[in-house]
Amino acid sequence: MEVNEDMDTKSESEHQPSKDALIDISFCGSTPLLWKVSDMKRCRSAGVIGALVGSLARQPRQNVRLGRPLELLQEEALLLEETSTAAASLQTQDCGDEEVHLEAVRQYEAGLESSYKEQCALALEDKKTVLRRIMDEKENGTDDSGNAIRDRLNALDQAFRFPLPAMAVQLHTARAGFSHCPEERSFHSTDWPVPRDERLNTRFCVYRDLRHKGFYLTSAGKFGGDFLVYPGDPLRFHAHFIALCISMDEELPLSDILAIARLGSNVKKTVLLCSPRSRSETEKDESVEGDVVYSSLQWSSMV
Amino acid sequence: MADRDTSTDAHKHSVFEELLSPSELFEARSRSHKIPVRGQKDFLPNGSEQQRARLQQSLDEHWTLLAEERVERLGNLVKAVWIPDERLVELQSPAGKFWQTMGFSERGKQYLRPEEALYLMECGNVQVFYRDLPLSIQEGYERFLSHETVTLHQYQVFGHLKRLGYVVNRFDPSSVPSTYERQLNLPASSWDKQRKQLKRKRSQSPVSSDKQNPSPVEKTTTEDQSEELVNASESPAGQTAPDPSLEESMQSADASDRTWWMEEDVQPPSAQSQSAAPRWDFSSISFPDLGSRRSRSVSLESPDPSLLPGALEVGGCDLSPWLRRLNVKQEKLSQRDRERQRERDRYHRDINSDREVRHCRNWAEYLQLVEDRRRRSQKDKPVHLWENEVTPLTQPGQCNSHRELLDQISIIKSSSLPEGVSSLSASDQWTISFDVYQPDTVAEFKKSQPGKPYTHMCVCSFDGPVPDLHALKQLSYQSGDVPVTFAVVDHGDISFYCFKDFKLPTDSY
Repeated sequence: MEVNEDMDTKSESEHQPSKDALIDISFCGSTPLLWKVSDMKRCRSAGVIGALVGSLARQPRQNVRLGRPLELLQEEALLLEETSTAAASLQTQDCGDEEVHLEAVRQYEAGLESSYKEQCALALEDKKTVLRRIMDEKENGTDDSGNAIRDRLNALDQAFRFPLPAMAVQLHTARAGFSHCPEERSFHSTDWPVPRDERLNTRFCVYRDLRHKGFYLTSAGKFGGDFLVYPGDPLRFHAHFIALCISMDEELPLSDILAIARLGSNVKKTVLLCSPRSRSETEKDESVEGDVVYSSLQWSSMV
Repeated sequence: MADRDTSTDAHKHSVFEELLSPSELFEARSRSHKIPVRGQKDFLPNGSEQQRARLQQSLDEHWTLLAEERVERLGNLVKAVWIPDERLVELQSPAGKFWQTMGFSERGKQYLRPEEALYLMECGNVQVFYRDLPLSIQEGYERFLSHETVTLHQYQVFGHLKRLGYVVNRFDPSSVPSTYERQLNLPASSWDKQRKQLKRKRSQSPVSSDKQNPSPVEKTTTEDQSEELVNASESPAGQTAPDPSLEESMQSADASDRTWWMEEDVQPPSAQSQSAAPRWDFSSISFPDLGSRRSRSVSLESPDPSLLPGALEVGGCDLSPWLRRLNVKQEKLSQRDRERQRERDRYHRDINSDREVRHCRNWAEYLQLVEDRRRRSQKDKPVHLWENEVTPLTQPGQCNSHRELLDQISIIKSSSLPEGVSSLSASDQWTISFDVYQPDTVAEFKKSQPGKPYTHMCVCSFDGPVPDLHALKQLSYQSGDVPVTFAVVDHGDISFYCFKDFKLPTDSY
């Protein structure tokens, strides 16, 4: 199996958690979400893909391409937390201090005011440029219309109106930080909002192992499995495997195996049955990396 | 953790670096609105420069699209305020085009539900403020979505459907009319408006379904027939067991009516006529057969005054106006229809042409006759088959068609989805979340009269259990005659499934 170049960058970022700020994972219920583009970029360079679930800013009324937030799998979030790349941010409380809050409101309104003034000036400049360009074009033609435009240009400084509703405002996607209350972060895995049951542990072991081997993984619910395994970035490559995570002692009925083998052959992907093999003694630390055993299913013809 | 000095703007820029400067905002007017198309994918990474370049290009495109912030003209934005106590968003400037399908008015103010407000925020139509500061979309997700309002999965389904153009409302169980009510096709009465009011205040809790009303039974022989019909329709048709008070009033009302139906030659046993008796003896009451062509009676006699309660004076009943309302005309069949009927009736034996059956005066006697005949016919049946504990299910010659035969030998009776629903307990896990209306009805859509929804949406996820028969029955019952669709959310991807009732064919024609 190929080792991606991304492995190198990942090991680098692993050793500098104190230099860069940590990635912010905000939880909506039990679902981890990422909001900032810089966080998403860093995630992707660590091999964590996630799935976009919000409306795209440029064209909100379509479902072909979605926008922020980026929803992470539980396993992805756990991996980021384990490698100290990210931390969960707790729900922000309302700012209790009234004075601080009023100051924040004042600052916000002052910001709007200055933005308006700047945009006024910009609009005026823009209009002047347009008029000058028309004037230049008209210079080549008759003179009369040119004069009219010159008069307009000169009167522009007084006559120009940029109404307040014409101002452009930004609708922030990620938290804008207007209110000055500091964000609380949790650094302990015990504060993780999602309980770690056996199923999550199995999946996480498989996820971490495949990620270390350089594969990119996304969710595979529609394919009847746990993960879709890509040899490279999902933006450019098709998935090769459907990974199904089963614990070593779990019994799987033959009909289930047949069903998923059929499904895999229909979508031209190989089905992988993955089971983490835990080291015999250690039971206290669930995240000990044991080996993961992989078996692939293939129809064999006996003709 | 990096030192957070939040007093300078420059620092804000670096920490919350997605703040746009005024010049950037100004330039945003001339942004492109097109989304680049994604090219073909490759099969295997081969470390080539070409692949790396293409990957980088795709990634750059990807980040550009994602990093783009929403910039809107202040005049195009509708200003609104989030009210956490009521969990609603109140509009403070006039609503735009979205008001046709979203939001509601109450006490003179316009409100949006949290999921609608969040969707409109994502579309860039509404700017929601909380304590005088605008909320970002992240804060919208954190504050608006919860178990009491709408969960993240439900919001994802909501957003997906809205982006496709559907009209999506929250489901209110009490607003589903029963099939009976729908049959009556009543115009929106004041009762309906009252129900809608309750729907707004507590949109998740169902209205109590045991509405008491004075007259529970439709009576066809009293003058105020239309009034009775309206009253009867108000009681939800889904009630299975009438409570004692209703039953009593039913009996006292019927005690007087019963006498209309007595024919002169059959006298009612005097014991039953006293209203104190809680049970009637149906075997002694004969009901007049107005529809059959054989009945000749044109009027019913006045009943015996001793049978009537109190000092009630009841005259004879003229049946001709009732007979006129019945269509007793002979059916005129076409040649082909007559042929078909002849084929069907070839082996049909009319039960009423049997003399012995005609002698029976009521059901009890008829059943007795059937039993006697059966016992007589049993004499020529083989003993070893019929006298033991296990007997055959059917006899030769007993059935005329495949369906009858299959009915006789089917020990496992087939059931349909609505059967046995009333005995099911409500389940917390499976609830219907939304009413969905089709996009092409948007032009005439009226919030006060939405009409019958296209489907009801139930949101679940691949991590959860598959709906079992209990859940299916309960949901389809709750949904009335509107189909139920399951929206399964898998990490952002949504798949829609529905279950269709299917009847196996039992006869060949």
